[in-house]
Order: sequence, then structure tokens, then C-alpha cells
Amino acid sequence: MPVAISARNLVKKYGDFTAVNNISFDINEGECFSFLGPNGAGKTTTVRMIHCVSPVTAGGITVFGETANIDNRRIKAQTGVIPQEITLDSGLTVYENLMVFAKFFEIPKAEARKRTAELLEFVELQGKMKSRIDALSTGMKRRLLIARALLSRPRLIIADEPTTGLDPQARHLVWQRLRELKSRGVTLILTTQYMEEAEQLCDRLVVMHEGKILKAGVPRALVEELIGREVVEIRARAEDDNALLARLSGFASGHERVGDTLYLYCRDGHALMRKIVELDLPNVRNRPATLEDVFLKLTGRSLIE
Amino acid sequence: MNLSHRIGHVFVRNLVSYKRFILPTFIVSLGQPLFYLVTFGVGMGAYMGHLGGRPYLQFLVPGVIASSVMMSATFTCLYDTLVKILHERIYESLIATPASAEDVIAGDVAWGAFRGLLSGFFMLLIAALMGVHPASVLHVLLLLLLMAFIGALFSALAMIVTSFAYNFDFFSYYTELVITPMLFFSGVFFPLDNFPAWLKAFAGFLPLTHAVNLTRAAFYGEAFPGLFASVLTLLLFGAAAFVLGVRLMKRRLIK
Repeated sequence: MPVAISARNLVKKYGDFTAVNNISFDINEGECFSFLGPNGAGKTTTVRMIHCVSPVTAGGITVFGETANIDNRRIKAQTGVIPQEITLDSGLTVYENLMVFAKFFEIPKAEARKRTAELLEFVELQGKMKSRIDALSTGMKRRLLIARALLSRPRLIIADEPTTGLDPQARHLVWQRLRELKSRGVTLILTTQYMEEAEQLCDRLVVMHEGKILKAGVPRALVEELIGREVVEIRARAEDDNALLARLSGFASGHERVGDTLYLYCRDGHALMRKIVELDLPNVRNRPATLEDVFLKLTGRSLIE
Repeated sequence: MNLSHRIGHVFVRNLVSYKRFILPTFIVSLGQPLFYLVTFGVGMGAYMGHLGGRPYLQFLVPGVIASSVMMSATFTCLYDTLVKILHERIYESLIATPASAEDVIAGDVAWGAFRGLLSGFFMLLIAALMGVHPASVLHVLLLLLLMAFIGALFSALAMIVTSFAYNFDFFSYYTELVITPMLFFSGVFFPLDNFPAWLKAFAGFLPLTHAVNLTRAAFYGEAFPGLFASVLTLLLFGAAAFVLGVRLMKRRLIK
């Protein structure tokens, strides 16, 4: 697969604050690439530089062979953005929102009408054509944002936390649509704090924290590499850790203590669980390792303000 | 400055959105100038002799037209623009299209100018109903051109203020300390002839003074001694306000 987006030593500063601190990555054409990270990690700042709405402080990005910078209209013309915030035009109807937006991409009126009808069907809003934006639910607004991003038939779609605030039904619909787009060969960039979302959608990801890339890779492989296959959570007092670990650490590949819980990582939980049953410990949970464990291990389990 | 034809798209976006608000905004933007025409022009005018060589209402009309253009353009680029930035986030979504920040800002300045023009045009109609009208059709065309420019100037000035605004209260400083006083120092309601020299000099720095002088000249087709200087001042003021307004607003939008 050819490289669609390539960033080298990318830096973004706001005054003294460094939002993105010297990161490099390549995104292949047709893949779904995810930026994972807690609030303030620099995900949104990074994607804003990719789609040319935020100037690069140092280093560089190329998108489809063009240098991304604030005045590059050619990159913007090929990119569809599903923003984090609802940025629909509340003065206009659903239909008008799409028609006005199509103008900015120089789509002729007849064609815009055709695409608007198609896209409203695609996001299941065909009945809402004449509705005002205020009359839509959050899920509908998010779906309309997707339709709007697709109007120009973009080569690159940037979805910045596209399912924030959605109920499970709406979230799954958004995921299905994004997967459908990917199957059509569109390059998809996703920023998210939801691990399930990343696992559902992305081929490769980077975990960002405080402006840096902590780890890059394929989701499943990252879980195996950093956590293993299974996690055993034990609710126990921290004072007992040493005694517990003396007996259990032989069966685990690693452990971590956070608050009231001791996390044990392993490739196969059977031996460990047998030992735990033998010790007759209460409050134990054995579950598959997930991306969330990777995320929390890398970015820390304590609260990020 | 990275400007393109997409300014027109921004204008059209505003037009589509505006069609729902035509009536309320009209009532609001015509209210105050109309109030001046009736109270000062008809009411007070009855007690006054001729001003600047003509009945008071005739003296007043061009000034009120210029100030209604100023008011409409100003309020559009203060309140409407801030709503678009803070609440509707329209600027954000438009800048993510091939439109540049400059296109979006200039499109809103053009829109403010249009709103000013509309207000001025309707004041013109009302004045005509009161029996005060321009010298000829040619003068009407000249007036419309002038009103569009005055509108653009005050839109751009308002854009400068909005580029610093994070809430609506902030605008009071500008409207109460700049716009409203300007109304009384720019020769809208009375000629500046009796002002002391320093006050006249001060009035010479106010864009509305020149806007009013030129509107009056265009309305009656009468040149005045400082005509060329007023044209030049207004053009320079307009160009400076536009460049500064776009730059400052871009600084706010693009980070």
C-alpha cells in the first residue's frame, strides 16, 4: 500500500506549551489509522495539522504527496472532516446544510442534490430532509456530520472522536458506516478515547500521551506484546501485595497495582486461576486482555486532568 | 492575504440562513434610525429653521441613512459573527473546506456590507415616502454604491472588535463608547460648523463624518469643498480596517 500521509518530527507549540512533541508516523492509503490518547494528548492537534487548519510549528507532513500547510486548498478539497464538536449550521435545514456545504467543494447543484439524497439515505436521515438542526437528536446530528464529510467524495476522512455522547445503537451505526467507507478504499483517520472503537475500526494505531507517541502498532499485537492474553483483577488491600505476589507472580508475566485492585497479566490464565482458587481469594475476575489495558498501562491508570 | 471566489459561497450561506430572520432583523435595524427621523426630523424639525441651506428633515435624511448603514453593518459583524464563532462554530466547519480563513472573514464582511446596504436602502424608501428623495436615479445608484462601501468599512471595524471578544458584554464598550458617540460628532444631526476647531479636527478622524458628508453630497448632487479628501479618507479607512480586521480575526481562528 502506498503511503498517503507521512509526518516527520512534527512539532506544534501554542506559546510555551508544546501540544505535539516531535512525532513521526506514516499512514497508508486505504487503511484506518487511529490516534489513541487521553484528553490533551495532542490527537486533535495532530489531525488539525493534517487537514490544514492549524499551522505546523516544526517538522512536516505530506498528504497525498503535498506539503500540508494552512493555505493548501488542494489537501482540504480531498479531505472530509467529521469534527469532534457539532458544527452544523443551526440556521439551516438538514438539506440546506448539505447543499450549502457542497458549494464550498464546487459541486454542481444537480450533482449536489443527487449526493445529498444518497448520503441522507446512507446515514438513515432521509426522512429528516426539511428538519431544522435543533430538532435532531445528538445521534442524528453526528450522522449528518458524517454525511456532510462525505459530500465531496473525499480520499481521506478524518473522524475526530466521532461517537462522543452517542447511545450504543447510534455508535454501532456510525461504526458500520465508517467500516463501509473503508471497504471502498477511503483512508480513514480516527482519534478516540474509546478503546472499543479503536478495536472495532482500526488497522494500526499510535498511543499518544502528552504530545508524544508512546507506542505504535497493530491493536491485537500491541495487546499481546504489552499485556498478554488475559488479565486477572484481584480486589485486595495493598499491604497484602508482597505476600500475594510471592505466591502468584510465577504464573503472571507482569503486574500492576492501582487503587484497590491488583492487576496480573498473563498469556494463559488457567494456572494462575487454579492457584487463586487454591488460595481461596475473594473478589477475583479473570478476563481477556484488551486495548484498554494497553492504554492504561502506557498512559497511567491515574486520572488525567 | 489568501482570498478567493469562495467569499461568494460564504455570502450565499449567510443569505440562505438569513431568509428566516428577515422580518425580525429588519424591524430591529430600522427601528432606531426611523425613530431619529420621526422625532428629530419631523418633531424637532418643526421648531428649527433651515440647516445647511435646507429644511431640517432634508438635512437629516442622508445622515440617518449613513448611520443606519453603520448600525446594521456593525451589529451584523459583532453579534452575528460572534454567534457563528462561539455557538454555531460555523467558521470552524467552513475553514475545513477549501475556503481559507480569509475567505470566510471577508465573506462575512461582505455580508455585513450587504446588511448595511439593505438598511440604508429601506431608509431611502421611507424618506422618499416622507417626501425627501435624491436628486435623480443616477444619484440613487451613486448612493447605493456609497452605502455598500460604508457598510464594508463598518463591518471591517466591527470585525476588529469581534476578534477580541469572548462574550457579548464586551461589545458594549464599542457600541456605547465608540459607535453611539460617533453618531453625535459626525454631523448627522447638526452641521459641525459651530464646533471649536479642535472638535472639528477630531470629527475629521471619525469615519462616519466622511460617510455622512459624502452621503449628503451624493443625495443632493452637491459637491463640497473637502469632497476629494473625504473620499480618500474613507477609502484609506476602509482598506486599513479590512486588512486589520481580516488579520486579527485570522489570528483568532487559526491557531
